[in-house]
Amino acid sequence: MGEPRVPAGLLDAVERDLTPVRPLAAPSRRALLLLPLGLALLVGLPAFWGWRNNLAALGPAAAWGLSAVQALAGLWIAGAALREAVPGRELSATAVAGAVGAALALFVGLTLATELLVPTPVPPGAWLRYAWECFGMATVWSVPALVVVAWLASRALPTRPAVAGALYGLGTGLMADAGVRLFCRVSSPAHVLVAHGGAILFLVVAGACAATAVERRKARAASKGAS
Amino acid sequence: MRDERQDEDDELVRYMIAYQAGELAAFERLYAALAAELERYFSAAAPTGSVGSAAQDLVQDTFLAIHRSRRTYLPPLPVRPWIFGIARNVLGRHRRTAWRRGRHEERTIEPNEEGRERVEPGAAVEPRDVAEALRLLPAGRRQVWVLHHVHGWSFQQIAARFQIGVGAAKLRSSRAMKALRASLGIERGARDG
Repeated sequence: MGEPRVPAGLLDAVERDLTPVRPLAAPSRRALLLLPLGLALLVGLPAFWGWRNNLAALGPAAAWGLSAVQALAGLWIAGAALREAVPGRELSATAVAGAVGAALALFVGLTLATELLVPTPVPPGAWLRYAWECFGMATVWSVPALVVVAWLASRALPTRPAVAGALYGLGTGLMADAGVRLFCRVSSPAHVLVAHGGAILFLVVAGACAATAVERRKARAASKGAS
Repeated sequence: MRDERQDEDDELVRYMIAYQAGELAAFERLYAALAAELERYFSAAAPTGSVGSAAQDLVQDTFLAIHRSRRTYLPPLPVRPWIFGIARNVLGRHRRTAWRRGRHEERTIEPNEEGRERVEPGAAVEPRDVAEALRLLPAGRRQVWVLHHVHGWSFQQIAARFQIGVGAAKLRSSRAMKALRASLGIERGARDG
């Protein structure tokens, strides 16, 4: 039996559009494109809205050091999402669970450590307003980073777009929260877990929905182009 | 055997690099090397009733998707996982489209172990029944079984592909085989594999 030959229609379609292409850079290198946006979230957000008034009491290591660790963790998870988006390089269920677990542990750990160092409750009667401010600030400031990482992921071909999107949403959320915790003077775990954690969760869901929608749109465009 | 497979993988990497550089002949070689393998993959994975021409159509769709996303291949990583990742994507899209249009056949054959006739050792089993039995397996077990028994991948390669242990790969394959036997009414010992 001879080797299978390319059907004429397929060969024509390929030949019509056979320009040399440059392979995408490695996911870790592409994730570095997010570094300026991560820095903007880490420094720009609190610089714009004002630093937490108990920053000095927190100390540079607990304030800047821990926020930098959180931002780097976010960048690492965004890189993992870009890897997940490349066919054949999907993360195992253990790796995904590990990344999510590590992010959760880091976020909760930082919350408790901050509460231990400078316990600051929400002023009476301002719970909802404070929660809304922190949630809104984190989500709105995350939009540019979310758009860029979504674009980077869509340049590959995620076979599990919801997983890739949820991961890059998680990464972006962590980077944003690294800046928000330098602005928000409240360290009460209830506030941080609900408002800051809620923003991260929102970005996870937004990322999953965005990636799924983008891939469906790409698939529809491709099937229209093929027909 | 292992060296042969390694040589073949290296050759695929060379074709893929040449294809990314714009060589049509490299695309044709890739097609020749992988079309049959992909067709077997789709035949095993696609629902019964759409196996024949649908599998061939899915192979074409896969190569079109490969063409559109050829820059997402990162040399010198192995080509097969990349191609089968795309194939899985194409298959998922095909299933969603079929479901959405309501065109897929409503074959509601439930695995009926007690009511099913026992198949004598050596008796022929209908390919359609095998495909249906495969379809009823959990995806993880089916993929491992198909890669090992249809495509001839070693358990080491499968373990690396899914990032699981070799033991876990063997266990999935063995459980898939047990479920297939039960589903097809084949006695254990009729054939070991």
